[in-house]
Amino acid sequence: MKLVFCILAALPLPAQVTYERLLNAPKEPGNWLMYSGRYSGWRYSDLTQINQTNVSRLKTKWVYQMPTTHLVETTPLVADGVMYFTEPPSNVVAVDAETGKQFWRYRRATPQKVNVCCGQVNRGVALAEDRVFVGTVDAHLVALDAKTGAVLWDVEVADYTKGYSVTVAPLVVKDMVICGIAGGEYGIRGFLDAYDLKTGKRRWRFYTIPAPGDKGSETWSGDAWKTGGGSTWVTGAFDPEQNLIIWGTGNPSPDWNGDVRPGDNLYSDSAIALDADTGALKWYYQHVPHDVHDWDSVQVPVLVDEEMQGQKRKLVYWAHRNAFYYVLDRTNGKFVLGKQFATQTWAKGLDPATGRPVRLPNVDPSPEGTYVWPGVQGATNWYSPSYNPLTKYFYLAVWENRSVYRKGDQEYSPGNRYIGSVPLIDLPDEPGHGAIRALNPKTGERMWEYKLHTKPWAGLLSTAGRVVFGGSDEGYIFALDAGTGKELWRQNTGGMIRANPITFTSKGKQVVAIAAGNAIFAFDLIP
Amino acid sequence: MSRFLVALWALALAAQTDEVRNPRTSPADVAQGEKTFRSHCSPCHGFKGDGGRGPNLANGVFYHGSSDADLLRNISDGIAGTEMPGLFYSPDRVWQVVAYLRSLNAASRPASAEGAAQGMALFKSKGCVNCHRIAGEGGRMGPDLSEIGKTRSVEHLRQAIVDPNADVRQRYWFISATDASGKAVEGYLMNEDTYTVQFLDMGQRLQSLPKAGLRGYKVDKASKMPSFRDKLTGGEVTQLAGYLSTLRPAGGAR
Repeated sequence: MKLVFCILAALPLPAQVTYERLLNAPKEPGNWLMYSGRYSGWRYSDLTQINQTNVSRLKTKWVYQMPTTHLVETTPLVADGVMYFTEPPSNVVAVDAETGKQFWRYRRATPQKVNVCCGQVNRGVALAEDRVFVGTVDAHLVALDAKTGAVLWDVEVADYTKGYSVTVAPLVVKDMVICGIAGGEYGIRGFLDAYDLKTGKRRWRFYTIPAPGDKGSETWSGDAWKTGGGSTWVTGAFDPEQNLIIWGTGNPSPDWNGDVRPGDNLYSDSAIALDADTGALKWYYQHVPHDVHDWDSVQVPVLVDEEMQGQKRKLVYWAHRNAFYYVLDRTNGKFVLGKQFATQTWAKGLDPATGRPVRLPNVDPSPEGTYVWPGVQGATNWYSPSYNPLTKYFYLAVWENRSVYRKGDQEYSPGNRYIGSVPLIDLPDEPGHGAIRALNPKTGERMWEYKLHTKPWAGLLSTAGRVVFGGSDEGYIFALDAGTGKELWRQNTGGMIRANPITFTSKGKQVVAIAAGNAIFAFDLIP
Repeated sequence: MSRFLVALWALALAAQTDEVRNPRTSPADVAQGEKTFRSHCSPCHGFKGDGGRGPNLANGVFYHGSSDADLLRNISDGIAGTEMPGLFYSPDRVWQVVAYLRSLNAASRPASAEGAAQGMALFKSKGCVNCHRIAGEGGRMGPDLSEIGKTRSVEHLRQAIVDPNADVRQRYWFISATDASGKAVEGYLMNEDTYTVQFLDMGQRLQSLPKAGLRGYKVDKASKMPSFRDKLTGGEVTQLAGYLSTLRPAGGAR
C-alpha cells in the first residue's frame, strides 16, 4: 500500500489549465478560466441552456458564506468542477462547483496596518497549470497549489508600508503572471509587472510614470513623478495576435490638487499596450490628460474585430469613468470615435481627431468646492462591462451622479493618503441614480436602459442565451433581455452586490454565480 | 535559507531592545505568565507554546512582529483578520505572558546551517518527498511542509517523524467507500457534511460526492505515514526535524 502511494504521487496530474486552454477559453464555456472569461475582456459566454425563455425559472443552487466583514468584489473562476475565489482581505477558497462545499482555504495573515483606499478588497485569482495566483493587500503575489492551497511561492511586489497594495485579479499570459498595483491615493509610482509562473521571479516591470529622461517624462515637473500614482488595479486584456497586453491605468497623485504636477502626467488615466514578452510600451492612449477629478482609466478593455468606416479593424471598446465612451484602434492606439454616455458638465466634447477632451472653464476642484458631473466615482468604474457578439451591443453599469470637488493642500508622507482634499459625494440636492445601458459600440448610441434607483457597483455578464446578468447595491441579481433591456428575472440576495457575474456548467447544467453581501451565490434552473 | 533564518532570529532578539521594553521579567513574572498562558493561550498555541491551531510561539520568530511592543499589542488587542482574539487583562498581566514567551524563546535555538542542509538531503533521500511537498516539489499524500516551521516546534516535528499517529489532523483522515456502480472510492478527507463529502483522491483529483450514493463509508483516522523510528538514526531525526523547523512563510508583517 505504501509503495502504491509513492507511485501515484509521481504520476502526472489530471486537468491542468494550460496556456493553450487559456487561449481557447471561449471554446470551453463550461469553465470560467480567467477574470473576464476570455483574453478579449468580453465577459460573455456561449452557453444557451439558460436563455430568454426559461431564465425566469432560475433558483438558488447553493450559497457559500464567507467569515469576513470586508467588501467582497471577487470574480470566481471555475476549472473542471472546482471553483476558486478570494475572500477578502487576501484569502483563497476552493469549493466544489456543484455544491459550494469547501475543498481548501488559504488564509493570508495580513499585517495590522495596511492602507487600501477603499476597503481591504480583492477581485479574484488567476489559474494556470495546477496553480492558483493571488495578490494580497500587503502587496505580495502568492502562488498556491490548486489541489491543496499550499503555498508554492510568495514574492513581494512592492512595499505595503509605502501605500502599495494588490487588489487586482492577476492575468496569466504565456508562462507569466501579470500583476497590477493599487495605491493611487497614497502617492505610489505605478507599474505593471510580469512574474514567472513557475518560480515567482519577476520578468519585467513597466512603470506607468516615466522617470526623468524617459519618454513621457516631459509631462511631469520636478520630483512629482516619484509620487505620481498611475495604479493598475483592474485586470486588463491580452491580444495574442499582436502579443499585446492592454491595461488601464489610474489617476495621477495627488488626486484633486494638480498644482505639483503641471503637464499631462503620462501615463496616468491611460490605456497602455505592452509587448507581452518584454513589457515595452507599444502604444498608449490617455483619456484624461492632467486629471484632477480621480477619473481612472481602470475599466476592462474590450477587444473586438469589427468593420468600421468601411474596413475590418482591430478595436478596443472603452466606456470611461469620465462619462465618455471611446473606440480605439488597437494596432496603434489611435482614437477612432468617442461619445458621451452619461451626464457630464466638465467637457465641451472630445476633439474629433484626437479624442482629447475640450475642457469647459471652472471645472477644476477649488477650495470652496466645484460642482461637476460625473462625480468622483465616475459615470462607470471598475466593474466589468460585457460585449455580446450576437446582439453586437456593449453593456455597462452607469452612474448618473455628481460631486462637489474640493481642493486642499497636500504634503507627501510615505504610506499616508496623498489626495489633496476630499470631494463631497451623494449630495442631498438630488440623489442621482444608476442604470444598466446597452450601447451600439460602433457609434456609442444608447440602445436601451434599465433604470436603477441606486447606483450599482456590479459588473455585467451576457450570454448566447441573449440574457444580460447584473446586480445592484440593493442586493438584487437580475437578468435582462439582451436585445431590449426588459427584466426577465430578479432575486434579492440580501446583501450589496459589488462584484462581477460568471457562468459555467456543473454536471452538464448551466450555472450563474456572483458574489453578493459576504457570500457567493450560485443559481441554476428549476428542473 | 537557514542563514537567513538565523539572521531573522537574531533580529528578533535584537528587537527586544526597541523603545518599549517589558517591565515584568522577574522569575515570578515568568511563572505567573506561564499560568496565564496555560489557561488562555495553550488551547490554540500548545501547552508549551509549540503550536497547534495557532502558530508556534516558542521559536522567537513572530509573524505579526517580534518586539515586546508587538507582543503586548497582539496579545492585548488580538490580530485582525485571524482567529487571535484580544484579552481584557491589565498590561502587567500581559507583560508576564510576554516574559514567559521570552523564556521559551531563550530555550529555543534554530537548527545549525549544516544540520539543516543535512536534514534537507535526508528529506529527499529517505523518501519523505514522495508524499510531502515543499515549495511545490513532492507528493500531496501527506501534509505540505512548505511553512511547517511556523506552526510546529522541533519537538513536535521529531515526534511526527518517529510516531506519525501521535497527532493526525482531520485533513489526513482517509475515507473509503463503494459507489453505486460498485467502484471503490477513496482518498484524503477535506470536508464533509450530512449529505456530501469532499476529498483528494488517489489520482490527486479533487472530488465531491453525495453520501447517498456511497456504500460502506468508512473514515480511517490513522496516519498513512510509516514510522521512521527504525529507519533513521537519532541524529538523522534531529537533522530532519531541524531542517523542517526552518521552513517559514515569506512576507507578512515586519
